[in-house]
Amino acid sequence: MKKFKQLVIPYIVWSILMLLLPMLLIAMYSFMKQGNSILPFKLTIHNYVKFFTDKDFLLILLRSLLIAVKTTIICLLLGYPLAYFIAKTPEKKRNNLILLITLPMWINMLVRTYAWIGLLSNDGLFAWIFSLLGFKHVELLYTETAVLIGMVYNFLPFMILQINTALTKIDPSLIEASYDLGASKKETFRRVILPLSLSGVISGIALVFLPAVSSFFIPKLLGGGQYFLIGNVIENQFITVGEWNFGSAISMIMAVIMMLSMYAVRRIDSNNHQQEDE
Amino acid sequence: MDERKKIIEFKHIVKNFGDAVVLKGIDLDIYENEFVTLLGPSGCGKTTLLRILGGFLEPNEGQVILDGEDIKNVPPYKRELNTVFQRYALFPHMNVYDNIAFGLKIKKMSKDVIDQKVMRMLKLIGLEGFEKKDVTLLSGGQQQRVAIARALVNEPKVLLLDEPLSALDHKLRKEMQYELKRIQQEVGITFIFVTHDQEEALTMSDKIVVMNKGEIQQVGSPEEIYNEPVNRYVAQFIGESNIVPAIMLEDEKVKFDDTVFDCVDKGFKDNERVDVIIRPEDIDIVPVEKGKMTGEVLSVLFKGVHYEIMVETVPGTTVNVNMHIVGDNTKRSEDGKEMISANDFYLDLEDMEGIDDKEIIARAGAQAWNPETDEFTSIAHVETDLKQETGEYHVTFSTSDGLEVTRKIWVIDQRVVENKKANEAISAFNFFKTADEIAESQALDTDLKVWANAQAWKLDDEDENVELFVDYDFDPENLQQGIYKVTFSTTGREFKIHTTDYVEEGKEVGLTFNPEDIHVMEKMGF
Repeated sequence: MKKFKQLVIPYIVWSILMLLLPMLLIAMYSFMKQGNSILPFKLTIHNYVKFFTDKDFLLILLRSLLIAVKTTIICLLLGYPLAYFIAKTPEKKRNNLILLITLPMWINMLVRTYAWIGLLSNDGLFAWIFSLLGFKHVELLYTETAVLIGMVYNFLPFMILQINTALTKIDPSLIEASYDLGASKKETFRRVILPLSLSGVISGIALVFLPAVSSFFIPKLLGGGQYFLIGNVIENQFITVGEWNFGSAISMIMAVIMMLSMYAVRRIDSNNHQQEDE
Repeated sequence: MDERKKIIEFKHIVKNFGDAVVLKGIDLDIYENEFVTLLGPSGCGKTTLLRILGGFLEPNEGQVILDGEDIKNVPPYKRELNTVFQRYALFPHMNVYDNIAFGLKIKKMSKDVIDQKVMRMLKLIGLEGFEKKDVTLLSGGQQQRVAIARALVNEPKVLLLDEPLSALDHKLRKEMQYELKRIQQEVGITFIFVTHDQEEALTMSDKIVVMNKGEIQQVGSPEEIYNEPVNRYVAQFIGESNIVPAIMLEDEKVKFDDTVFDCVDKGFKDNERVDVIIRPEDIDIVPVEKGKMTGEVLSVLFKGVHYEIMVETVPGTTVNVNMHIVGDNTKRSEDGKEMISANDFYLDLEDMEGIDDKEIIARAGAQAWNPETDEFTSIAHVETDLKQETGEYHVTFSTSDGLEVTRKIWVIDQRVVENKKANEAISAFNFFKTADEIAESQALDTDLKVWANAQAWKLDDEDENVELFVDYDFDPENLQQGIYKVTFSTTGREFKIHTTDYVEEGKEVGLTFNPEDIHVMEKMGF
């Protein structure tokens, strides 16, 4: 038994080196004055003050949160019915559909996002469809809509897969029991299927919202220079401006916001359960 | 006629899944306040019938009538039935109270009415104070009770129970059997209970429906089903039994094992072939001179309340053959690159007709091989002076390289041992083998039967094979050249007896029973 436990040591070392240490470094950087050397270590909250006193940064943060929320809502509205449909198909067909959903992920995300530039550009497919419908000169590329489309496109599979897993795990006899007790299809969905799939919805939201808030290449490619999100600011601070300490501080702020939002979502979830109990 | 009101009528229900016909035309009436059990092995269609009633499956043919109304187009959620599912199917996201209240909330009853009803149910199932408990933390028996309460609270006309006790342990299952019967009597509605457990069915039911392969075999009270099973299938499925093929000579006279017995059954054709069943507890063991049958005690097992005693009334049929263990039967070619082996063998005159080289090679166990690579080479030629009469002949097997070996064939007119009382015949042949061949055998009993060509069959039906048992008293690992005895025998007729009196094994005893203990059944028509 003791020997067996020892096997876990390399993984712990690995986790500390690759996960914990970089995070601690980022946290440390964020509380330090300009410069890359760790010593001499001088504590300061200057980086945080700089962020919260600059109206532009706060606006960008707000914009990022808003577009992430929009992305999550659209993914949920599109993803739930799709996941439900997939879960109801027979197993063999279901596996093929899941494959179809995951298929685009085999290709690099960046390449797929580039493809959208072509689709959304002024002489692209969408502009052409709109022109057929009588709308001339619809600007799609380099707008918020384009960024939203790109985000929904990239993150939708995560939502579908999470919800689908939760739905397929529901014992079919529970649904029969619900019918048996007099519940119609609608009632059964509301009282049995939806509550039992909520865990999938929660993890789906997490998997969409978190990368959406901090994404930087989707707004960069599809929003052009005009549409700046917090991810782009962080990228800029590290790569273009070279202010690692300020970039680290923004990263820390984002991490706290994400933690808080996940905590809030889980609270809503458990509140739901308590309401059922009443 | 039955005065009670019919609540459910199945009218010629047929159901198939693809090519498999699961229900072959079920006609069944179920009355009010009955505890009805659908009993049968898995795959007999009992659950399918229940699911058709619940509305989860549609029959291909036939009608289901509930309370005088055809419910073909009534969806499950509008049927006034409730089901207790096999694995309870409690809603894991709700506590005990909400599970039970589910149906009532759907019906939009007022909160205080729901409260009253749920509390009454909790009392009925003996789980007061459990209303806030998480259902996933309850024991199997408690979950079972909640599932029953959740169904019963809706006051259905009929409660369907799909093998609800199968997931419980033995002791709990017994408890729940009484519990269910009590609940059914208390609420006074029809219970339709599906099970494969005959004991469960006998304990709880007012009416048992025995099913097999999509057909109803018998419908009746537990007593009727036990005491007067209609055929061999029902008799075997319910309780333990001795079933003997017999001939009904005339009314109240039945003949089996070459003896005529008095019975109380009538209405069969004269000399009709029937099956007779005698329950183990209806047979008494008496001194030999007082017995209607006599036999030898084969085994005595202590079963707690009684002994289970096996008595052989008709000994099995036996034939002995000689197994000749011969020395080295292989021959090596001059260059040492090939070897050949074969055995002498006996052949029945009757089997002579149409015998070919292949058959002779097989009978002699002839084979040739390369000793260096262990690869088999084929026997190219078989030469024999075999004739269609008894006598001693020679056969020569040779390979394409010219290596040959000569063996003897004895053609004999084989005697068949007949046993009229047991209606059996048996035959077997002497055979020749080397000690190595015996030692290398993976399944000696089967090989001995093949080598001796041992067979047993019914005298009145030569196509019906009778199982043979092999007996020998040599050590297969340590055989010397010589002759050994191998005995092939059939089982004979054995009776199982349940009695509280102890009898010694090996003793000769008499068996007796009353004419009314013999129950005569029609042969099953397959």
